[in-house]
Amino acid sequence: MLENEDKPPLFKSWTSWYILVVGLLILQIILFAQLTKLYS
Amino acid sequence: MSTIDWVILVLTLSGIILFGVYKSKSTRSLDGYFRSNREMPWWIVLLSIMGTQASAVTFLSAPGQAYTDGMRFVQPYFGLPLAMVVLCVTFVPIFHKLKVYTAYEFLEQRFDVKTRTLTSFLFLLSRGLSTGISIYAPAIILSSLLGWNIYITNIIMGGLLIIYTVSGGAKAVAYTQQLQLIIVFVGMFLAGYMVVNMLPENVGFTDALKIGGKMGKLNVITTGFTENGFDWTDRFNIFSGVIGGFFLMLSYFGTDQSQVGRYLTAKSIRESRMGLLMNGIVKVPMQFLILMVGVLVFSFYQFNSAPIFFNEVPLNKIKNSENRDSLAVLENQFNLLTVQKKEQVTAMAAAIETGSTLQQNAASDSMHVLLERQEVLRDGVKKMIVDQGLKAESSDTNYIFIRFVVDHLPKGLIGLLIAIIFLAAWGSIAAALNSLSSATVVDFHKKFINKNLNDEQDYKVSRWYTFFWGVFCIVAAEFFTGMGSLIEAVNILGSWFYGVMLGIFLVAFYIKSIRGHAVFTAALIGEAIVISMYAFTDVGWLWLNVIGAMAVMFLAVLLQYSVFRASEKPAT
Repeated sequence: MLENEDKPPLFKSWTSWYILVVGLLILQIILFAQLTKLYS
Repeated sequence: MSTIDWVILVLTLSGIILFGVYKSKSTRSLDGYFRSNREMPWWIVLLSIMGTQASAVTFLSAPGQAYTDGMRFVQPYFGLPLAMVVLCVTFVPIFHKLKVYTAYEFLEQRFDVKTRTLTSFLFLLSRGLSTGISIYAPAIILSSLLGWNIYITNIIMGGLLIIYTVSGGAKAVAYTQQLQLIIVFVGMFLAGYMVVNMLPENVGFTDALKIGGKMGKLNVITTGFTENGFDWTDRFNIFSGVIGGFFLMLSYFGTDQSQVGRYLTAKSIRESRMGLLMNGIVKVPMQFLILMVGVLVFSFYQFNSAPIFFNEVPLNKIKNSENRDSLAVLENQFNLLTVQKKEQVTAMAAAIETGSTLQQNAASDSMHVLLERQEVLRDGVKKMIVDQGLKAESSDTNYIFIRFVVDHLPKGLIGLLIAIIFLAAWGSIAAALNSLSSATVVDFHKKFINKNLNDEQDYKVSRWYTFFWGVFCIVAAEFFTGMGSLIEAVNILGSWFYGVMLGIFLVAFYIKSIRGHAVFTAALIGEAIVISMYAFTDVGWLWLNVIGAMAVMFLAVLLQYSVFRASEKPAT
């Protein structure tokens, strides 16, 4: 019961969610770096 | 303010209070009052933790930061998504498994009573004082801008929310934060839209960003490296943002009861995790967009006259002093430069339209020179303010956005944006009062004063403590009146304690062999180190979080295997 309640939505494991969050952060930093370069 | 602004302000604020009271129905027990019976879905948890973190200062200060210093202020938030992941892996499952009301209960189970009590005390001390500042900081800005009485503004800023916070506990806090945040986002979007709308006809959104970028305001990523190597006193760069920001956010979300109390209301570990992870996804873009409003305001003021100093109160004091003639000279020179700057920015806008890089750069170079000259004149005004004995009011960063709102936005929108300042303040203050009360009741009252309370008594005592902390924070805010702008103080005060509190929790989670005496002593020494570093060095405040946490972890290991080796056997 508890295991079912802790099952993440969309992905099979929480690790995939963690990778998504960190991946989006890295993507944002790259985009921000490009933005800084482009507009400087 | 016009009548329509007053109507919108009063209607918005009373609407929130009524909504909070309507949502106040909670079970008359400790669980109902402090954890909403653990029935909240992840999206309410998300809005609640965002509403708790985003104070009035966020919306007053951030656009001003972007205006003066560019968008690099987004970098401290880079550590937040990483902190959310660590919280979901380590903190959340343990807090849920142990069914704690406060984060500090776990420390008694892991170490001993004194470590729990010390950490809870550090939380009460820092959160109690910083909530007083959270009331006073936006109140002083609104009162000086609109001529309101500061003492009454403090009471409205910190007092009205007590009505629903006392009656409804965590549930009322969460539901009102949800509504508050929606209104705040709508208001900020409208403000951003209006800035672009008020630019000259041939200047659009991207042109405004290009102008800001040419003037160095789109410096989203900075490295902190100079010719002399890495600058440790540089407050915001990618390294202090990722590393210092990570420690700050991990401390704040993992050890500060005002945040822990929000995700403990979730109905399961899954809902807590989803709320925190979604926060990790949306927080950086949200901060980026708020800062972008500041860049747009900057571009707006290149086409329009800006005041030489955005806070009128110290300016008016100089106008009534013997320095009035010197100020008039500075203002005249400033206005002449504004006219030249308008010519250059118009030339730049035309060059952007034609795509001529050469002309853009020529106009940009001229504008840099003019802006530097204006900055010299502004420094002259700041010096006059300091000489007048008003050192605390010599920075106007936090007045830029609200000055723009009052001077340039249409009637109605001014009332809405003033309401936003109140709502943002209420969201974080309500969560703070709820958490101060839960830590006092659970970690002190039920521990040391009266252990045997039934549900009804628990509920009544909790309400009284919420009321007490509400009054305490308003009194603290009234006490801070006359001490000038204290906006930076909220962050600095947090950094004095957060690192040490995080160090205790990191030892608890990751270094199983350390026992109570060692971590308690390490925390006391660590606190002394952090305060000394702040007092005697120029290290940026974000690094204090790293230093505090590392000091506690290192000292705890050292003490456990030296001084406390014989008295306390490490667990194997």
